[in-house]
Amino acid sequence: MLWFLYALGGGWGHLTRAAALARAAAPRHAVRIFANSPYAGLVRERLPGVEIITGELRAADADRFLVDAFPRGLGGELPPLLAGTDRPRIFIHRDLNPQYVESRNLRPFVEAHYDLVIQPGAAEDAPLSGLPRAAVTAPWLIRSAHELPSPEAARALLGVDSRPCALVCASGNQDELAWYERAAAALTAALPHAAVRLVSAEGAGLRYWPAMDLLPAADVVVGGAGYNTVNECAACGAPLVARAWPRLYDRQRRRAAAHANVTLVETPEEAAAAARCLLEKPRPHALAYVNGAVEAVALIERARRL
Amino acid sequence: MNPAGWTCPRRIGFLFPHPCGRLTPIGCPDCNNGQIADPYAQRADRGAYNNYDSYNEAEWREAYAAEAAGHEAADFTEADGENLVHPEEDEFERNLGAS
Repeated sequence: MLWFLYALGGGWGHLTRAAALARAAAPRHAVRIFANSPYAGLVRERLPGVEIITGELRAADADRFLVDAFPRGLGGELPPLLAGTDRPRIFIHRDLNPQYVESRNLRPFVEAHYDLVIQPGAAEDAPLSGLPRAAVTAPWLIRSAHELPSPEAARALLGVDSRPCALVCASGNQDELAWYERAAAALTAALPHAAVRLVSAEGAGLRYWPAMDLLPAADVVVGGAGYNTVNECAACGAPLVARAWPRLYDRQRRRAAAHANVTLVETPEEAAAAARCLLEKPRPHALAYVNGAVEAVALIERARRL
Repeated sequence: MNPAGWTCPRRIGFLFPHPCGRLTPIGCPDCNNGQIADPYAQRADRGAYNNYDSYNEAEWREAYAAEAAGHEAADFTEADGENLVHPEEDEFERNLGAS
């Protein structure tokens, strides 16, 4: 089958979650991702087998119509397309600003225009959960547990020896990069005996995607509180020092508070202080995790147009 | 010399002209010892406020109604509220870089 996946949205999150599904579906189904992330080029480099399109929405030949996060589309443009397709329509329900849900009357809209709703992670606490056609999976992750590099291999990717490792993962918007750079500098000053590495798509950091490959090496991670960073760190057992960024639709602070491995901070200096405290404790043992993207593939295969 | 019981009939004040009420114009800064005429003598739109210190509602309401006769009342109802609220002014579905 061919699945069309509408994954518009700024930053990394929508595209990475879409890529996670595409990878999980790849042995049996092709996924065409429609995205406008500024990082689409890097993801194409790393996933040459996944079709990522921009500009024109081509879905007429798809067997499934999937929409990530924004049931009416990021610009409110999807209602005629949803009404006009005879294929099963699946909504991927990450957490959403309840004001958006109310102002656009999304509950009846989703009930009328979607045949399946998938909540990618029980902790998302999505406002539209509880709909009759909703299912909850584990978080969708770009790597399944058996695909993760070993801690030694991850350290080799980072060029880190046996010292404690603090990883700063710059994600989100480009204008937030300066905060991560200051955090890396503060960590370097506060942790003279640790190896500090900054991973970022721009700037002076290591340009690497997906950052999840590097998490097995990290004794502490400093990052945002977006969907992928929080869930990836939780899956890998990596303590996360997180800055919750203001977003129009996503409630990052709420997500961070729902995860026990997350310490919320505001400033780079607070991040360094929190990281120093966390490095004094032994890193929690990583548990085997379920990749919800694999669960979702089975649900999408079985979806029927109602 | 002023008659017994005399009070100055000029109206003074800026936004709310009211009777002066002084017992003598001598030394009065508003009329300069009675040399300046009542500036409100020709102001018909101040007529309703001549009894400014009177809080008899019926008295001033009747006077105001007479003055306002011929003008349409600008009464707002709940139906007008929908013209004052612009839901499309929120940021949702307007920013393609949002997340």
